[in-house]
Amino acid sequence: MAARKKRSIFEIVEEYFEGMEEGVERLGETLTEKPSWNCRACTMEPLHNIMIAPDEVTVTVDLPFAEEKTIQVKPIDVNTIEISAKMRRTIRFEDFGITHYRGEFQTFHCRMYIPVPVRMEKMETRFKRGMLEIRIPR
Amino acid sequence: MSGEVKIIEKERISTNAVMLFGFPDVGLVGVIAASHLISELKLDEVAFLDSELLPPLIVLHEGLPHSSIRVFGNNEVLLAVSETPVSADVIYPIMNALIDWGKSKNVKMMISLSGIPIEQRQDAEKLEVFAAASSPEMLKMVQDKGVEVLKEGYMVGPQAIMLQRCANMGTPALTLLAQCFLNYPDPEAATEVLKGLEKVTGIKVDTSKLLEKGEEIRLRARDVMKRTQQELSKMKKAQEYDIPVYVS
Repeated sequence: MAARKKRSIFEIVEEYFEGMEEGVERLGETLTEKPSWNCRACTMEPLHNIMIAPDEVTVTVDLPFAEEKTIQVKPIDVNTIEISAKMRRTIRFEDFGITHYRGEFQTFHCRMYIPVPVRMEKMETRFKRGMLEIRIPR
Repeated sequence: MSGEVKIIEKERISTNAVMLFGFPDVGLVGVIAASHLISELKLDEVAFLDSELLPPLIVLHEGLPHSSIRVFGNNEVLLAVSETPVSADVIYPIMNALIDWGKSKNVKMMISLSGIPIEQRQDAEKLEVFAAASSPEMLKMVQDKGVEVLKEGYMVGPQAIMLQRCANMGTPALTLLAQCFLNYPDPEAATEVLKGLEKVTGIKVDTSKLLEKGEEIRLRARDVMKRTQQELSKMKKAQEYDIPVYVS
């Protein structure tokens, strides 16, 4: 019978944390499994991303069909911003060939949590080619 | 493991075609380009992939079930396209099966269409297209046709498997990569990769509709992009940003 390799305490701890990380990842995926639209509020959630640099946080939001003058970026608290924008045209499920849902959308809406302290009052935004960029100094 | 993946042919498959791959990746460049090729070249579904390695998912079109990975084609082109991101756990057997199937059809060349993310994409006025090849001869061919070569770096994803396997089998292959957004659907980049494809193979399609419908495509592709993003992070896609240690 082959002797069982004795594991060091570091290997055991590493394995434990890897298992925890996987569990958290799975839980995160389960919790974020939701439609990217809300029929009651007539809103669509835009794709958005966050990049954290040593001196600033950059948030980008893809807003196709957004009307530039309606874009709003509001700090909700010290770590959260809310982004909304009206669309130039109403989007319906039928536009995508979908007939088993009913609903139409006129607005983009999302909230983003900024995981590091930032100076919200120094926030700057620009909108180019349908893409919103928000820069917030740290 | 490739035996667990079946390619079911629906029609007679032409030989000596160029085989293209459009799989979900950065900017969904390959999928958007593939979808445009299908509609512009009026390609029919000629085969589909069947495997229990894939999640229990079908795509419904006009009320009928379809595999999420299908091959479209005509006499000159075979185009393998996936409508959902393929998980890192099963990407090898899936790609190997498609490549081996293409080889069995004596395709003259395999080309995967994809993207390469750049940081200041929003401000980029001109998007460049790069190529990586399976052999020095193929490399020379793309250079002669005016496509820049991606000389050093890492490649992650279906295109990496395709290029390596074709290099091992001696099948001429290329990966065409257009500069693009990392996490946002990028129809402009898809347009550029199709222009690169035209330079290399002569396969020409009108790309004006792709640009006209750009906003609609971006809106429609949000969900697939989001899921692709999750799979890419599991594949450690960010490794493409790494600077390799040179080993001669």
